[in-house]
Amino acid sequence: MPIDITMPRLSDTMETGTIVKWHVAAGDAVSAGDVIADVETDKATMEMQCYDDGTMVSIVVNEGSPVEVGTVVAVMAEEDEDVGDATSRPAAPATAPVPTQEPASVEAAPAAPAVEPEIIDDGSEDVESKPVESAPVEPHLTMRGHVRISSVARRIADEHGVDLASLAGSGPMGRIVKRDVLAAIGITKETAAAVPPGAGLSPVSPVSPSISNLPTTPVDSSSTSMPIKASDIPTPSGYGLQPWSEPLSGMRQTIARRLVESKTTIPHYQVSMVFDMDPMVQMRTQLNEQLVKHQVKLSMNDLVVRCCALAMYTNPLMNASWGGDCINYHGDVNIGVAISLPPERGGGLVVATIRNADKKSLRVINQESKELSKKARTKGLTIDEMADSTFTVSNLGMFGIDNFTAIINPPNSAILAVGAVQQKPVVRNGEVVVGHEMTATLSNDHRVVDGATAARYLSSLKELIENPGMALV
Amino acid sequence: MSTTETANHVVENTVPVPDPEVLKSWLRDMLQIREFEVRSMQAYQNKLAGGFLHVYNGQEAVAVGCIAAMRHTDPVITAYRDHGHALARGLDPKIGFAELFGRIDGCAKGKGGSMHFFDRNNSMFGGHGIVGAQCPLGTGLAFATKYTDEVIKGGTSESVTACFLGDGALNQGSVHEAMNLAVIFDLPIVFCVENNRYAMGTAVGRCTASGNQITNRAIAFGMEARSIGGMDVIEVYREMKEIVDQVRATSKPYFVDIDTYRFKGHSMSDPRKYRTHEEEQEYEADDPIEKLTRYLLAQKAMTEEELKSLSKQVRLEIREAVNWARQSPVPDVSELHHDVYTDTWGDYTGTSLPGYMKPTTDEDATEGEASNGT
Amino acid sequence: MAREIEFREALREAMSEEMRADPRVYLIGEEVADYNGAYKVSKGMLEEFGPRRIIDTPISESGFAGLGIGSTMLGLRPIVEFMSWSFSLVAADQILNNAPKMLYMSGGQFGCPIVFRGNDGAGGQLGSTHSWCVESLYANVPGLKMIIPSNPHDAKGLLKSAIRDDNPVFCLESERLLSVKGDVPEGDYVVPIGEAVIHREGTDCTLVGFGRTVYFCEQAADELAREGISCEILDMRSIRPLDLDAIIRSVKKTNYCVVVDQSWSFASIGSEVAAEVHAACFDDLDNHVHRVHNDDVPAPYSHDLEQEMLPNARKICEAVRSVTYNA
Repeated sequence: MPIDITMPRLSDTMETGTIVKWHVAAGDAVSAGDVIADVETDKATMEMQCYDDGTMVSIVVNEGSPVEVGTVVAVMAEEDEDVGDATSRPAAPATAPVPTQEPASVEAAPAAPAVEPEIIDDGSEDVESKPVESAPVEPHLTMRGHVRISSVARRIADEHGVDLASLAGSGPMGRIVKRDVLAAIGITKETAAAVPPGAGLSPVSPVSPSISNLPTTPVDSSSTSMPIKASDIPTPSGYGLQPWSEPLSGMRQTIARRLVESKTTIPHYQVSMVFDMDPMVQMRTQLNEQLVKHQVKLSMNDLVVRCCALAMYTNPLMNASWGGDCINYHGDVNIGVAISLPPERGGGLVVATIRNADKKSLRVINQESKELSKKARTKGLTIDEMADSTFTVSNLGMFGIDNFTAIINPPNSAILAVGAVQQKPVVRNGEVVVGHEMTATLSNDHRVVDGATAARYLSSLKELIENPGMALV
Repeated sequence: MSTTETANHVVENTVPVPDPEVLKSWLRDMLQIREFEVRSMQAYQNKLAGGFLHVYNGQEAVAVGCIAAMRHTDPVITAYRDHGHALARGLDPKIGFAELFGRIDGCAKGKGGSMHFFDRNNSMFGGHGIVGAQCPLGTGLAFATKYTDEVIKGGTSESVTACFLGDGALNQGSVHEAMNLAVIFDLPIVFCVENNRYAMGTAVGRCTASGNQITNRAIAFGMEARSIGGMDVIEVYREMKEIVDQVRATSKPYFVDIDTYRFKGHSMSDPRKYRTHEEEQEYEADDPIEKLTRYLLAQKAMTEEELKSLSKQVRLEIREAVNWARQSPVPDVSELHHDVYTDTWGDYTGTSLPGYMKPTTDEDATEGEASNGT
Repeated sequence: MAREIEFREALREAMSEEMRADPRVYLIGEEVADYNGAYKVSKGMLEEFGPRRIIDTPISESGFAGLGIGSTMLGLRPIVEFMSWSFSLVAADQILNNAPKMLYMSGGQFGCPIVFRGNDGAGGQLGSTHSWCVESLYANVPGLKMIIPSNPHDAKGLLKSAIRDDNPVFCLESERLLSVKGDVPEGDYVVPIGEAVIHREGTDCTLVGFGRTVYFCEQAADELAREGISCEILDMRSIRPLDLDAIIRSVKKTNYCVVVDQSWSFASIGSEVAAEVHAACFDDLDNHVHRVHNDDVPAPYSHDLEQEMLPNARKICEAVRSVTYNA
């Protein structure tokens, strides 16, 4: 049977070879061991030997052409074979491939936030966080702005529903460690030391637009993570003030940062309107009389919240968020209500969300508002309770404020600042009479809401507020 | 027929030349080794075998002659140029090629390669890659046979261990330690130095002090030693038979300097620039196979036709062995964690014998077995 | 019935009992016979077993280690004593290339049921070439097993297991422990290879110790107990296989882990334990695993310097305070 002579592997790294000189030609007799060609390899010029006795039939690859190892370069007939039987053969069968190196393992991505959510995962969290820009890195946060916490502390916190934002970390760099979490759930260890005020409080990290990230209050009043006790506020002695400096709690820091961010990145403009509140005052009184035996007392704000929600149906463009490269119009109408906190709770403002306010009755809105308000001032709100608002209402009416402007609570595109309901001289049917009026000022994100849209919204709101029966249906 | 001169005295060799039938079997063995090595080289160049490959062309008389002088149960151990010894011991060439090609049917299930030909049933103890490392192991084999015969069975030492090494290995410390131990413990071992003049690319004279008389090293340990020619299988046999019998009887070690030559390079990537073509041709003219052939023809123990037919038979056998080995599967990835420990723990899955060693038909057991002179 | 005997006697009993039971077992090494053992471990064994089974060797570790390994290929079961594991370095080729790999290279034909044993670690002002801890060098190699008993009971039980094991076993003893006394039952018993034991129970921190370091852990634990920190001490007893499950159980309980390893720190048994514990106990750790090692320097001769170099109780206390945030 004819024998294919293939380009041999003459060194362990050789991939291709070039016949430099053939020492035989078709028709020559050859013996096993004869050098039949000189081959140039990657390393040197080596001799190519023949392994069998016989006769050369044909040269398939000429001098000077580089070919891969394993390529047929010549054909010979075995000793007892007729040369004529040997026909030129096609390329030699594939030889065992040289095993390739394993590809270098792809470098693992640096520890990604996807590994652990930085706070209690409520499922609505979008893991991609905004890059920390020029803000200095706080030591108790990692480079990516995540809370420092040990694995077991995180696990225990999850198991017991402990809100990490309320914890002070006693470990290095403000790391929350096991004993901090145990202290928070009321288990003391003899080795836990009292945490000094303001030491390494871990605020909520910057989070994606889909949730409000105003921090919650501390978990309970006995928590050592509370920044200031009322008794800590120095009282002036006699006349004059005592100078003092309050170190910022984590919550304060976050509020500050968020407000600056809102004010400097959102193009705010305001649109105001005065509302005739007589009908609403009347209705409210009526309703509350009927509800008194059910211990329900509707507040003005409950009605305003409902009207704001219903007004979205005719003004869906208001129920939106700036998305960077798009504007997201929300299907749910979730009204955020701003709740101020007393100094012993750290002061400041939180926004609780009344979800689907458009679908809830006044009684439900009332109940929820009351509960959220109480919770905010005591235990503190969960992330869930503060998340997902699409529009916010802030009411300073209880302080007698006529009107004011509020700062938009991202990712909302607008916020309604509601002033007090006041008795004023009003013009009705050409006559000056005493009426109830309220001024409300809408602050808008000009990227999302243009002037006409804002104006139209206020008109719709006016219609609802001045015909409050519509809020009942 | 010949006299040998040992370091101590001249001895008339009384070992008779074996019968022609025995000689013909040795010719067959040497032809088999030669053809196996030729096809190994070819397989390597065709990328069927990889890594290191050290062929034995030219040294066949040493393995065949020495092993013919021993019993089948006498342990044999050598370094990495081990195909010849394994085949002379009786390893089936199919199994050898399968090992070279890294297949599951190899003697080490494809996990050893060219340098690790082990064959327990044929008293072949490897196949070792580190130069000289086989010598302490060899003393261990000799120690074990003596210990078993004398300490456990209460009899006398019966076996002789042949530990093969190259001239280059003589410079390894472990070899000296082994020789010292062999003398101190009276071990029945023969250190067979296959002196092919080159330690890889370095001539003996350049690296081995008193390399022109390497028996000096053994004598320094008080070990008996002699130099013999290695290109004539009959001479090798007759000398070794004397030595092996003596060692078996006295249980004292022996050192043999066997003058031989490897026709090919140290390994496959050696262009042999350290020696001349003329030198190679000179030694190739002394080919042990051709030597024995000429002798048999001259003695009329064999005809040209018989010779041709024998050559062809061997060629076919080897070709079939190559083809058989090529069909053998690549080991499953589970083999990685097998044969690491004898027990199963962690990822490790214990151990088992290679396929060819498990009890099968008689055919597998007897094929390729070398016949001994005794 | 328990009785108190020295660590060295426990080793001797293990070897003698196994040699009586199995004629294939023999002891070979420098000064093991006539001298009665450089550290008197094999005292009296020559008398009982004779010079064919208790064999004095020339000073050629590579030679006699290889001889031992070669003899296993024909079924013998040698115990090869290195006068010090420091001297095993010259035999590294035999003990690392031939012993653990024989079974694999031969495709399952030849195992290597050998035991190598000797003194490991700092011996007391012996200087840098005689104070080697080889565990971190050798444990890396697949195919061998490695044991490191800390007390006489385990020394006897583990060495018996090693002699009976069909794989090569490296037994790391310590010159400093040979005179330690402990309860050792009469008669035959084994301690399985690969099983750790709780040396002392505790709740606040897991100490992982090997051999001599178990004693340093004990000293440290006593001092820490006075500070109100309760340490659990694990005596690992085996390095390969490593009883990781025992460590995991303990760390799940305490949430803190300190590993005390008498070898240098880079690429060591300590790093192996730390890596494994981090992987297996990631959600149970309140702090990363702390490691206490020898200082990363050659062993000094001077007494005080050497004591300072070791993974001593003071360093362990510091590590425990640090890991539990009590520093």
